[in-house]
Amino acid sequence: MDVAKYAALFLAESREHLSSCNQLLLEWEQDPAAADALGGLFRSIHTIKGMGATMGFTGVAELAHRMENLLDALRHGLVTVDVGTFQLLFQAVDALGRAVEDAAAGREGGSDAALTVALEAAAGGPPEGVADVATLVEGKRQHRRSTDAPRGRSVLIVIRGDAVMRGARAILAVRRAETLGVVSAVRPSLAQLEREEFDGRLAIRMESRASDEELAAIIRTAGEVEAVRFEEPSSWATAEPERHRQIRIDLDRLDRLMKQVGELIVAKNQLGVMAARSDDPPLTELSDRITRLVSGMQAEVIASRMTPVGEVFERFPRLVRDLSRDLGKRIRFDVEGEDIELDRSILDEIGDPLLHLIRNAADHGIEAPDVRQQAGKSAEGRILLAATRERNSVTLRVSDDGRGIDRAALLAKVRREGQSDATPETLSDDDVLRVIARPGFSTAATVSGVSGRGVGVDVAMTRVRALGGTLEIRSEAGRGTTFLIRVPLTLAIVRALLAEAGGERYAVPLAYVAETVEFDPRAVTALRNREALVVREQVLPTVHLRDLVNAGGRPAPARRPTVILEVGERRTALVVDALLGQQDIVVAPFDAPRGMPPYVGGATILADGAPALVLDAAALL
Amino acid sequence: MSHTVLVCDDAIFMRTMISDILAQAGFDVVGEAESGTQAVEKYRSLKPDLVTMDIVMPDMGGIEAVREICKTDPEAKILMCSAMGQQALVVEAIQAGAKDFVVKPFQPSRVLEAVQRVLG
Amino acid sequence: MREILPRLPATRIPGVVEAIEGLVNVRGTLLTVLDGHVLLSQPRRAEDEGAIVVVEVGSRRYGLGVAQVVDFLEVPEHSIAERADLPGIDARLVKAVGIRDGVHFIVLDIDALVAPIIGT
Repeated sequence: MDVAKYAALFLAESREHLSSCNQLLLEWEQDPAAADALGGLFRSIHTIKGMGATMGFTGVAELAHRMENLLDALRHGLVTVDVGTFQLLFQAVDALGRAVEDAAAGREGGSDAALTVALEAAAGGPPEGVADVATLVEGKRQHRRSTDAPRGRSVLIVIRGDAVMRGARAILAVRRAETLGVVSAVRPSLAQLEREEFDGRLAIRMESRASDEELAAIIRTAGEVEAVRFEEPSSWATAEPERHRQIRIDLDRLDRLMKQVGELIVAKNQLGVMAARSDDPPLTELSDRITRLVSGMQAEVIASRMTPVGEVFERFPRLVRDLSRDLGKRIRFDVEGEDIELDRSILDEIGDPLLHLIRNAADHGIEAPDVRQQAGKSAEGRILLAATRERNSVTLRVSDDGRGIDRAALLAKVRREGQSDATPETLSDDDVLRVIARPGFSTAATVSGVSGRGVGVDVAMTRVRALGGTLEIRSEAGRGTTFLIRVPLTLAIVRALLAEAGGERYAVPLAYVAETVEFDPRAVTALRNREALVVREQVLPTVHLRDLVNAGGRPAPARRPTVILEVGERRTALVVDALLGQQDIVVAPFDAPRGMPPYVGGATILADGAPALVLDAAALL
Repeated sequence: MSHTVLVCDDAIFMRTMISDILAQAGFDVVGEAESGTQAVEKYRSLKPDLVTMDIVMPDMGGIEAVREICKTDPEAKILMCSAMGQQALVVEAIQAGAKDFVVKPFQPSRVLEAVQRVLG
Repeated sequence: MREILPRLPATRIPGVVEAIEGLVNVRGTLLTVLDGHVLLSQPRRAEDEGAIVVVEVGSRRYGLGVAQVVDFLEVPEHSIAERADLPGIDARLVKAVGIRDGVHFIVLDIDALVAPIIGT
């Protein structure tokens, strides 16, 4: 193609971009926290690179490419900007200007080796691909033919050696294949393909009703495909014996299955009660067997719904990068425990609360780089998102090493509303949470566009509580803030302890029961003018269930069991009249009347068919 | 009747070049857009058979534009125009619904091949 | 009105107003039952068997605990007189008053009855 006629256009447009680069660099140097300048610079250099490459001006394209790498590293916070960086970028813009003029005049000069090395060093090495492709195979599928049953097979796809971006091309081929069936495995992995760790040979395992010819034809439409070959599924199995056979199941179907199991458990519980009353050995035996079978089935169904939290976590690195750019901050984002699993239905609900907390951390927690340095911290802030598995729950932690919550400012605000007589010293983390979780609360001096007007903690709190979980905060001025979300492993079926008070039965989820002890009146003491119990040398605030629920009935028995509730590191003693054993309960929805106390977390139907209320341990602490 | 094309790139240079390549091959370039927002607007008004989309553009990037367009028209035929080293962005665009991609510097034959593949 | 159930044992909900009798198990689903006697300030009589009338308010269902279900009436519009003050009954809960076979009856405004106690 004769590109000479575009040379004038190339020159004019490049000059415009170079001039705007100089302008942007100046602005940016004035205010290194202003991220818009960086974005504009990147786009201009990127445009010059594309035009130069197309014109065949390799010198221009090369230099622009190296500048782009540095700008990209700056943009993603991989390297920090300093006086030297600006100097280097000004030099590079000048050099690029000369290269553009030379090239347009037909004098392609050599590259400036010293500048090239300096740019590379400043960028800290070549950038890596970051977006994740794990969700690629989740794409929409359509089955075009229904004449035959789906047939499993392995497909070997060879991408042409001279193709550019062969990894992305391979992913396109997988996408095409998915229009005719279900792809269950890809080798090399999609992540490897994206990083170009790929020799051009791609193997996929798929189920499809289409013929080999049809599949090959559709795969070839991805372009640059040299060959498509089919292998028997067995060869895949021998090649990678650890790979399990998989099918995809609609989540709605799993939800229905879970609901059915829930109802089965209620029925099983009722059968158990009847069998126990009947004094009929064969019936008791059968009931026991059914109990075992249903328990096994429940475990399998729950296991089939468990999904690694990484699926939700993977969207956050990008979010933090974009936020740090918009806010002119430098933030390192780390993720731990991506492999920890949670019930799909909880996972689907947990993304939003996490999003609010991470935004809060980036916006209100992490300080601007210069503020951090003045405080003797590294210019780069850190946000950590970590999952850990506990007994029957999973803890998700969002921590930042930012400024922490300013208790004095918080109190000033609360005092103006005449709501507290606390001092910054006596204001506990729980008090802080109560204040900042109020709807619409905001302490941000300037309400930034990122986390908006206070929406954040209150939304997160509401969502987490709706999942039967808890939210806690730990904050230290100048050191940072940590939010802890605790959620049960699964929503639908909960193992609970049945407690009695004043002739009424209440279910206490076992996830929050640390232990049960005998109530000992000699261990009663006082904690901040309230009754407390000394249990294992620890003073625990104490709640009597019969007082709490205002139960009448018989007087309390002399010997009373006490349930020690534990949420995180906080414990409380719940004194009850009697314990009636454990039961799997299905938390059932009902239209809660107005004024229902917060410690009622839901309701369930017990083995004998009577409804019982489920206590929310977190609200009792 | 020839296929209609919408060319989206923030550089006039690139738009001119792509338009020329396509016009010479008998395509009807019905519109050009220089930002993602414009691309989405023009796609809706022009309903072209094919879109060529630059990845890096001001105000709304190409990937976001693909997402927006595919939201209303999942069958939209969008060809991404990327630079070397934008592997991750290309993959993101494919996930967003782009049907194919070409890599700068453009060879007219490669561009036309990709266009033919996308148009089926 | 949805259906009529026999009286079922209700589980008390602590902390809520007296007019809420509690939760009952209706074929595996939970229903909040309101106490008709309290709502209408009527005395309880020992001889009443009791029944639960299931009503739908918006998308929510509630049970209304009553002394007994006497009869089903299909009330023609013209037989309903405008609401009037009745001794012992809050006029706001009365939609209309009618007479049949010489016996007075009240058409209750279920929405008004339930509104103060349903959740938000």
